Amino acid sequence: MSELTQEGVAKLPIQERGFINFFRKLAKNKIAFISFVFLLLVHLGVFLGQFVWTISPESVDPANSLASWTSEHPLGTDDLGRDVLARLMYGGQITLLVGFFSMVFTVLVGGIIGAVAGFFGGWIDIILMRFTEAMMSIPNFFLALVALTVLGKSPFMVILVIAFTSWMEIARVVYGETLKWKESEFVEASKTMGSNAMRTLFKHIVPQIIPTIIIASTLGIAWAILTESAISYLGLGIQPPTATWGNMLQNAQQYIWTAPILGVLPGLSITLVVLAYNFLGDGLRDLLDPKHHKK
Amino acid sequence: MLQFLIKRFGQSVILILIVTLITFFLINLAPGGPASMMRMDATAEERAALSERLGLNDPIPVRYGKWLGDAVQGDLGPSLSSGQPVMDRIVERFPHTLKLAFWTIIFSVIIGVVLGIISARNRNTWRDHTINFGSVIGLSIPSFWLAIMLILLFSVQLQWLPSAGTGEGFVGQFKSMIMPVIILSTATLPTIVRFTRSSMLEVVSQNYVRTARAKGMKEKTVIYSHALRNALIPVISIIGVLIPRLLSGTVIVESVFGWPGMGRLIVEAAQSRDYNLVMGVTVVATVLVIFSNFIVDIIYSKVDPRVKNIG
Amino acid sequence: MKSKLATLLMVFILFIAGCSSDTNTSGESSSGGKETEGVSKGGNVSIPIVGDPIFNPWHPNAYAESNLVNRVLFQGLTKPGLDNLPVGNLAEEWTTSEDGLVWTFKLKEGVKWHDGEEFTAEDVAFTFNDLVLNASLGSNGASNYKALDKVVEVDDYTVEFHLKSPFASLPAYLAFNSEILPAHKFEGVEDPWEFTDFNKENPVGIGSFKMGEYISGQSLKLVKNAEYHNGEPNLDSVTFKILPDVNTQIAQALSNELDIFVLEDKSSLARIEQAENIELVTADITRYFWISLDMENPKFQDVKVRQAMLHAIDRETIIDSVLEGYGEIANAAITPDQKQYFNEDLKTYEFDPEKSKQLLKEAGWEDTDGDGILDKDGEDFTFQFDIALQGDLEQIAVLVQQYLKDVGFDVELNTMEWNAMIQKNIIDRDFDMILNWWSYPSDPDIYAQYHSSNAGTGNNIPGYQSEELDKLLEKGQSTSDPDERAVVYDEVQEYMAENLPYIYLWYPKELSIRSNRLSNVPDMYVGGALHYIYEWSVTE
Repeated sequence: MSELTQEGVAKLPIQERGFINFFRKLAKNKIAFISFVFLLLVHLGVFLGQFVWTISPESVDPANSLASWTSEHPLGTDDLGRDVLARLMYGGQITLLVGFFSMVFTVLVGGIIGAVAGFFGGWIDIILMRFTEAMMSIPNFFLALVALTVLGKSPFMVILVIAFTSWMEIARVVYGETLKWKESEFVEASKTMGSNAMRTLFKHIVPQIIPTIIIASTLGIAWAILTESAISYLGLGIQPPTATWGNMLQNAQQYIWTAPILGVLPGLSITLVVLAYNFLGDGLRDLLDPKHHKK
Repeated sequence: MLQFLIKRFGQSVILILIVTLITFFLINLAPGGPASMMRMDATAEERAALSERLGLNDPIPVRYGKWLGDAVQGDLGPSLSSGQPVMDRIVERFPHTLKLAFWTIIFSVIIGVVLGIISARNRNTWRDHTINFGSVIGLSIPSFWLAIMLILLFSVQLQWLPSAGTGEGFVGQFKSMIMPVIILSTATLPTIVRFTRSSMLEVVSQNYVRTARAKGMKEKTVIYSHALRNALIPVISIIGVLIPRLLSGTVIVESVFGWPGMGRLIVEAAQSRDYNLVMGVTVVATVLVIFSNFIVDIIYSKVDPRVKNIG
Repeated sequence: MKSKLATLLMVFILFIAGCSSDTNTSGESSSGGKETEGVSKGGNVSIPIVGDPIFNPWHPNAYAESNLVNRVLFQGLTKPGLDNLPVGNLAEEWTTSEDGLVWTFKLKEGVKWHDGEEFTAEDVAFTFNDLVLNASLGSNGASNYKALDKVVEVDDYTVEFHLKSPFASLPAYLAFNSEILPAHKFEGVEDPWEFTDFNKENPVGIGSFKMGEYISGQSLKLVKNAEYHNGEPNLDSVTFKILPDVNTQIAQALSNELDIFVLEDKSSLARIEQAENIELVTADITRYFWISLDMENPKFQDVKVRQAMLHAIDRETIIDSVLEGYGEIANAAITPDQKQYFNEDLKTYEFDPEKSKQLLKEAGWEDTDGDGILDKDGEDFTFQFDIALQGDLEQIAVLVQQYLKDVGFDVELNTMEWNAMIQKNIIDRDFDMILNWWSYPSDPDIYAQYHSSNAGTGNNIPGYQSEELDKLLEKGQSTSDPDERAVVYDEVQEYMAENLPYIYLWYPKELSIRSNRLSNVPDMYVGGALHYIYEWSVTE
C-alpha cells in the first residue's frame, strides 16, 4: 500500500505544474504529440472552416452531381451536387460533437457509478458493480439497435444510446482506482480528521482519478465516433439530410462502383480522427499513469 | 462450487428477466407495427384484422405477461412476419453466427497470443512498436468501411474472394469466411495482443521467473516453460469480455457480407417490428453471452491456481 | 434450479448440434454441377431477391421477394399478355353476364399440382372464399377484391365470380399476385398463415418450377416441372439468391453469378454500362411517383397552389440526375404501359418558377415582408415535408425541398424510417406533404386511390373529394367494353391533370440487368417476363 501512496504523491505535482510542462512531456511521445496537433487542426478546420469555405453544405445542384475535383469544388460534389468539402466540415461538426457528448455522458455515468460504488462499499458496491457486470454481459448493441428504432434517431438519442452501451468499462476502471485511493494514507487521514464522506470523495479521491478519467475520455471519444458510424451504417444513426461522417459513408456505399472516392473521404476522416484519439489516449496513459508505463 | 453455481444461476435469471422487460417495452413502444400492417396500400380494415390476429390489441403489460408465460415453457411464439416459430428461425440462423464467432476467436487468440509474445519479448523495439501501431489501427478503422474496402479489393478488383454468402463446398465455405473473420477480428485481436503483452511482462517480472533466470536457465526456456503458461491464464478471462463485443460485431459484418446469421436477423426483426422475433433473438443472445462467460469463469477457476474462490 | 440449468445446457448443445449438422448438408450440396444439353435446353438461371420468401401469395407478409418466387411456383387464372392485357392461364376463357355482376371462367383441364393432385374449381373457390374473402385473415391484396361477393363452383372446370358491384378490371387483377392455392393441402389447417409446412418449407405449387432446396437467408432452388401445363420448361432450375445488398447483386452480376434483376438503384449504372456480359433492358411499368398534400389543410385546397408547386419543381432535372434519365414526366395516374388507356395529350406543368410565383400571387400568397417566405394575411407558408428513408426517396425529397424553397415555400424536411412513416402519415393521416409512389395492376381502374369513399382510412391518401371524379371512376368500373372504358379514362386523366388531386411527378421506367447468356425472355418488365419463365433458356 505504501508504494501506491508514494506514487500518488509523486503524481500530485504533475497536475499543478501547468500546461507547458505537460506539453513538454507530451512532445516527447512523438506519436501522441503528432496526434494531438492533428486533432487540433481537424477541430479547427471542422468548426472554423465554414468561415473560410463558405459554400453551403446543403445547396444542391443536381446537374453537377458526382463532379470531380475542381477549384470550385476542391473535393468534388456528391450525388445531389452538394459540395463534399463543405459537407465533410459540416458532417464533422456533428460527428465530433456526438463523439464528445457521448463521452461526457459515458464518463459521467460510468465515473459516478464507479466512484460511488468504490467509495461507499457495502451493499451500494454490490448492487452497483453487479449491475455494471450485468450490463457488460448482455449483448447491449442488440438492445441499442432496438432502442434507436424506438426512440428515434436524433443526435441526442444517438448520444444517449452510445453512452448507455459504453459506460461500464469506465465504471470498472474508476471503481478500481477509487478502491485504491480510498485506502491510501492521506484519505485515511482526511477521514480521521472528520471530513464527511462526500467531501472526502470529491476533495481527495476524485482529483486522484482524474488522470484515469482523462485517458478514458480520450479513448471514449474514439469509441463513440466509431459507434456512431456503425449505427449510421445500419441506417439507425442520425438521419440525412443532416450530414455526419457516418451517414455520408453509408450514403457513399451506393457509389462504390462509380464514385468510390465519396466513401474513401469520410471513411478516412473517421479512421484518422479515431486513430489520433487512440494514440493520444495511449500517450496520455504513459504520461499520467506511470504504473502503466512501458516497463 | 455448488453454492457458486446456484448463486450465479439466480443472478443470470434476474438479468435475463430485466433484459426481456426492457426489450419488450422498448420494441412495443416503437412507432409503427409489424410489417404486414405497414404496407402503403393496406386499408384500415385490413390493419384492424391483422392487429386482432396478431394479438396486438391487449395492453402491453398483459402481452408481456403472456409472452413471459409462454417463454418460460420454452415457447417463444410465432414470428410475426413469417408465421414460423421464432425458435425455428433462430435455429436456422444461429449456426452461421456461431461458425463466424468460433473461427474469429480461434484466429484472434492464436494470432493475438503470438503477436503479444513477440511484442513483450521485444518490448520497446521496432517490433513492439509496429505491433502496437497495428493494434491501434485495427481498433480505429470503422469495420464496415474496412469491409467495403476489402470487398472492393478482393472481390471486385482481384475477384479472389466472394463478396457475400456462405459459400458452397469446403473451399467455398473457407473462402467466404476469410473476409468476415478478418473484419470481426479487428475488434478482438488488438485486445488479445495487448492483454497477452502486459500479462507476459507482468509474469516475467515475478519472483519465480527471476529465480529461474538467476539459476542460469536459458531465456527461451524461461519464457516458454515458465512465463508463458502463467501469462496465458488471464488471456482466457478476456475471451469472456470479448464475446458480447463479437456479437455486436456480427451485426455489422453479417449485414455487409450478406451472412445469414443472428446479427442480421435482429436488424431485420427490429425494422419489421417482428416483436416476437426481437424478443427471441435478444433472449437467446443474452443466454448465450451469460453462458459463455460462465464457462470461461469455470475454466479460469480450474486452470488458475490463484483463483481459489470465485463468486 | 438444477433442471433449469440443464435446460440451458441442452439449448446450448442443441445449437452446437445444429451447427455441425448444417456444415454437413452444405458440404453435400457442393456437388451441384450441371450438364449442358445443347444450346437451349437445361441450365440454371439465378435471380436475386432481398429477403426470405413466403410461399403463399396471399400471406400478409408476402412482399416483393415473395411475389417473384410465387409467380414461378404458382399460377393465376390469368396472366399479363405480352401487350400487358390479361390473357388466360389456368382459366382458358371467360364471359360476363349482361349486368356485369357474374363472371364465368372455364378452367384448363388435366392440370396437375406438383404433388400429382388435379387442379379443379374447388381450388379456385377455396382460394377466394376461404382466404381472400375471409376478412379476419387480412389477406395481402384482399382489398383489390372488395367488389367480390363469392366464388361458386359450377362444375369441376367452371367457376363463377359473383360480384357486389361491376368490376371490369377483374381479369387484370386476377393476373396480379392472385395465384391459386391447392385446397387439398389446406384441408383442416386452422390458421393458413401459420401453416409453416406449406408457407415456408414444402409448398405444393402448379407453376413451371417446383420446390427444390431452400436454405433460409441464402438461396432457394426451384427445379423444372416437366408436366407444366404450358409446356416443359427449357431450364433445369431457377435459383433465387437472397442478397439484400445491391452492391453485392451488382458484383455478382458482373462476375456472371446472377442473370436477371431489376436495378432499382441507378447509382452504379456507369459501371454496369461498361460490362460486356450484361445487357440493360428498359420497360414501362405500372407505377407513378406523386406528392400528396393534406387536403384538409385550407392552404393546399386551392388548386392554384398545387399547380404552382408543380411549376416550381424541375422534374426533368430530377429524372436526369436521380433516375439517370429512366423516367417520363407524369401528368395523371394512368401509366404509359397501358397503351390502350394512356392519354398523351394532357395539360403539363413545365418547370417555370415565374409562372409558379404568378399562380401563388393569384392565390394570395406573396412575399410581402421580404424574408424570402410567401405569406398571406400575416401568415407564412410553412409546412412539414415527411419522407421515408427508402430507395431514392430522400434524394428526391432534398431536391424537391430546394425547388419549393426557391419560390418561397418554407419547407422543413422530416426524414423517418418506413415503418414510422406509415404509422404517422398513412395510419394516423398526420402530414402536410409526403412523397411516395403507387404501383398497381396494369388496369386503369384507380378507384381505390381517388374515390371519396376511400378518403380518410383507405388509399385516397390526400383525402381528395370530388363528386365529378367519383362519378367518372364509378362509370369506369361498370364499363367493360375496352373502347368505352378508354373514353371514360381519358376524361379521368384530363380531370387529374387539371385538378391535381395528387401532384404527379413521373412514371419511372424499369431498368433491368440481363446477362448475355439469357435468351427467349419476352420483351417486357421482369415481373411480367417471369410469367413466361418456362420459355427462357440459357447458353453455357
